[in-house]
Amino acid sequence: MLSRVAESVFWLARYMERTNGLLRVLRTNYIASQDEIREYNWKTVLQTYGYLDAAKIEPIQFDSRAVLNYVMLDRDNDASLINNITRARENAKAVQDHITKEMWHTLNGYYLLIREGSIQRTIKYGDPITALDALLKHGLFLYGTINVTMSRGEAYNFLNVGLYVERAVITTDVTDIKLKEIDYDMAHETATPSLRYLLYSLSGYEAYLKSSRGIVEPDTIIKQILYDEDFVHSILYCTSHISRYFKRLYGQSIPESYEHVDFLIGKGLNNLKYSSCNLKEGDSIRSLLAQTRTDLHNIARAFNKHYFGYN
Amino acid sequence: MSYILDNIVFICYNLYYKFVFCIFWFEILTFTIFYILKYSLFSILFIYIFNFKANAACIMTLPKILESYHTQSNVWDELMSQTGVRESYLHLVKTLEGLSAEEMGNKDELAKKLFMTQGITFTVYSDNEGVEKIFPFDIIPRIIEAKEWAIIEAGVKQRLRALNVFLKDVYHQQFIIKDGIVPAKLIYSCPLFLREMMNVNVPFDIYSHISGIDLIRDADGSFYVLEDNLRTPSGVSYMLENRSITFRIFPDLIPRNNVRRVIEYPSLLLKNLLGLANRQTSNPTVVLLTPGVYNSAYFEHTTLARLMGIELVEGRDLVVENHHVYMKTTSGLQKVDVIYRRVDDEFIDPLTFRPDSILGVPGIYWAYRKGNVAIVNAMGNGVADDKAVYSYVPDMIRYYLNEEPILKNVPTYGLDVPENRSMVFANMGNMVIKKTNESGGYGMLMGNKATEEEMEEYKKAILEDPRNFIAQPIINLSSSPCYIDGKLQPRRVDLRPFALYGPDGINIVPGGLTRVALREGSLVVNSSQGGGSKDTWVLGE
Repeated sequence: MLSRVAESVFWLARYMERTNGLLRVLRTNYIASQDEIREYNWKTVLQTYGYLDAAKIEPIQFDSRAVLNYVMLDRDNDASLINNITRARENAKAVQDHITKEMWHTLNGYYLLIREGSIQRTIKYGDPITALDALLKHGLFLYGTINVTMSRGEAYNFLNVGLYVERAVITTDVTDIKLKEIDYDMAHETATPSLRYLLYSLSGYEAYLKSSRGIVEPDTIIKQILYDEDFVHSILYCTSHISRYFKRLYGQSIPESYEHVDFLIGKGLNNLKYSSCNLKEGDSIRSLLAQTRTDLHNIARAFNKHYFGYN
Repeated sequence: MSYILDNIVFICYNLYYKFVFCIFWFEILTFTIFYILKYSLFSILFIYIFNFKANAACIMTLPKILESYHTQSNVWDELMSQTGVRESYLHLVKTLEGLSAEEMGNKDELAKKLFMTQGITFTVYSDNEGVEKIFPFDIIPRIIEAKEWAIIEAGVKQRLRALNVFLKDVYHQQFIIKDGIVPAKLIYSCPLFLREMMNVNVPFDIYSHISGIDLIRDADGSFYVLEDNLRTPSGVSYMLENRSITFRIFPDLIPRNNVRRVIEYPSLLLKNLLGLANRQTSNPTVVLLTPGVYNSAYFEHTTLARLMGIELVEGRDLVVENHHVYMKTTSGLQKVDVIYRRVDDEFIDPLTFRPDSILGVPGIYWAYRKGNVAIVNAMGNGVADDKAVYSYVPDMIRYYLNEEPILKNVPTYGLDVPENRSMVFANMGNMVIKKTNESGGYGMLMGNKATEEEMEEYKKAILEDPRNFIAQPIINLSSSPCYIDGKLQPRRVDLRPFALYGPDGINIVPGGLTRVALREGSLVVNSSQGGGSKDTWVLGE
C-alpha cells in the first residue's frame, strides 16, 4: 500500500473517531447543562475544542447554544465537528480505491448531513439532542458499514490502528479534563457526579452499573476507564487493539520499521498494564495519564516516520 | 345417320360438360385470387391504419410532453423527424407517455440526489469553503441507431489509425512534412509539439491509447468531427455513471430497448495497459497518476482506479531511481511498469518541462525515454490534436491510409493565412473563433453572440498571434430532448465516444459522453459554460 494512502486511511479513522468522541462529550455536557440548577459553565469544553482566548470565551461560556454552534458548526474553529467530518471525507476521497463504495457513500452522507440546513437549524434553534443523536446514529452506521463491507486487508488494519489510537487519546484527554475539574481530588464532593458524566461521555455508564452493582465510587470508575479489558473505550482495551491490528501488518512491513513500532506499542501497553497506579490518589492517576499520552504520541510519531514516509 | 347424330350429340355434350367444368374451376380460381387479393389489401390497409393509429397514439397521448417540443428548421433533431417520432425513440416515448409530470419531476430529483449522495461531484472552493457541485445530468437518454454507430465506429477507428501514424512520423522521419502534405511551420510553431519526443520509441508505436473524438451532427444528420482529444480526454466516468443512474430512474427500459453495454470499458483499458508493460515482467504494476484531490476530474480518476483495481498515485508517491520509476509503499519502494497519467505534459517532469510543477515526478521523462516505464497517453500528442493541425487530418488519412475519410471535418480556417483572416474578419458574425491550444470551451468566441467590443478584442489578439487561432463556420449542432422546467425541450448536443488503442487494435465502447448545452439557444456544450451530460444509448442490431 502507498505510504500516502496508509496515512490517509489512518487519519480518516482518527477524524471519524474524534467526531464520535466530540459528539458524546457535547451530548453529555448539554444534558448536564440542562440538569444544573446553577448556570452550567462550558469553559473547559471551549478550551479543549476550540481556539478562543479567555476574552472571547467569557461572553459565551454560559450560553449552551452559542457554545454548540461554535464547537459544532464554526468553520473558523479548526477543531469543530464540521471541520472534522470534512477532513475525514477529504481523506476518504483521496483513498476511494482502498475503501469500499458503501463506506464512501456513508461517509459522504455523513458530510452532507452536517451541512444540511435542517440539522444546522436544529442545533441553532431547536432541540440540540435531536441533532446530536442523528449525527451519532450516522457515525454508528458508518462503523457498521466498515465492519460489514471492508476487506480485512492492509487498509482495514491501518484504519483500526488509527481508530484505536484516537480513541485512547480521547479517553485519556476526557478523563484528564474531568479530573482537572475536581482538581484531581478523588475525595472532592462533586467527584462522583462529575465522573458519572465522564462515564456517560465514554458510553460506559451502563457497563459500569452492571459490573459495580450500582455502587458509584470514583476509583472504580477510573479503574474501568483505565483497565477494563471488556470496556471498548478503556485505554487498555484501545492499546491492546492497536497492538492487535498492528501485528497484522507484519507481512506488509519493512522488518526494521515493524520492530521499531512494535517495540513502542509494547512499551506503552506494558507501562499501562503493569503500572503501580494508586486509583485513590489523584497525583498517581495524573502521572499515569501523562505517561499514557506520551506513549500514544510516540506511537503515532513512529507511524509517521516508519510507515507514512516522513523520514 | 342416327349414329352420326348420336356422335355429334355426344361430342357436344362432352364439350359442354368440359366447358362447364372449366368455367367452374376458372370461377373457383378467380374467386380465390380475388379473395386473396381482397384480404391482402385489406390486411395491408388494416395494418397501415393500425400502425398509423399506434404512432399517432404516441403523439396524441403525449401532448403534455411533446406539445411543447418545438424543433428548429435546419437543425437535425434526434427525437423527431419530419414525419414524427423516430423509430429508435418509440419505446422511450411510450414510457414517458405513461408518466405524470410529478413522476418525471421525481425522477429528475432522484438523479440529482444519487449524484450527490454517491459523491459524483467536484468541489468548487470559495471563501475558504468547498461547495460540492454535480455535473448537470439530463435524464432523457440520447439514442443512436446501430447503423449510425457503425459509421461512427469505422470513422473514428480510421481517424485514430491515421493520427497515430502521424505522431510516429512527426516524431521520427517526418515524411508528411517532406512530402508537403503538412507544412513544417505548422508543426514547429505548435506549442504542444515536444522536441523532447523526437526519436523516442514508444511501445507498439501507439501514442494515443485513450482518445475522445468530439462529434457533432449537421442539419442533414451526417456526423462531423469537431475536435480530437488525444492527450488526457476526460468524461468516461460520466459515461459509466450516467448509465448506472439511468438504470435507477428508468427500470427495465435499457434491456427493453436492446441497448449495448458500456461497462466493459475499465476491463478493456486495463487489458491494454497490462499489454504495454515490459515483456520481462510477469506481473506488471500499473498505476493511475492523478494531479490530486483538488483536480476537477478527481472523481473520474478514483472511479477508474477502483474499477481497474490499480493504485491511484500522486506525483509525490513516485520516485525515479536509476531511470526506473518506483512508488513509495509501506513495505518500501515498488517498481512501476505502466503509468496511466492524467497529468498534462508540461507538468509531468519538472526536470524536463515546467520546473515549478509539483504534480509530476522528477526524472520520469528519462525513465520513459529509456523504455523503463510505459506512459499512457504518450507525451507530445498535443501536436496531433492542435486545432490548426486538425484541418489536415483528412489529408493524413489519404496520405497514410490511402482511404477517403469516413467522418467529415468541419471547414477550418487557420488565421495565420492572410486570405483566411480577411475572409473571417468580414464574416465574423457567422464564425466561431477558437484558440488552437485551449479546450473546455475556453478561449472561444461565438460570432453570433459576441458584441462588437468582443469581436474587436479578438481581432486584436488574432493579429498579434495569428497561429494561435482558427475559425470555423457556426455549425448547427443537432438537438436532443431534455427534461427542463417540467417539459421536454430540444437542446443542442455533441458526442464524445472513447476509443482504446491497444496492442490488439482499436476498441470503441458502444456509447460515449453526450454533452448538452442546457441553456436555451446555446451551442456551447462544455461544462464550464453551462453544459451538462446525458446517457448515450447505442442500440444493438
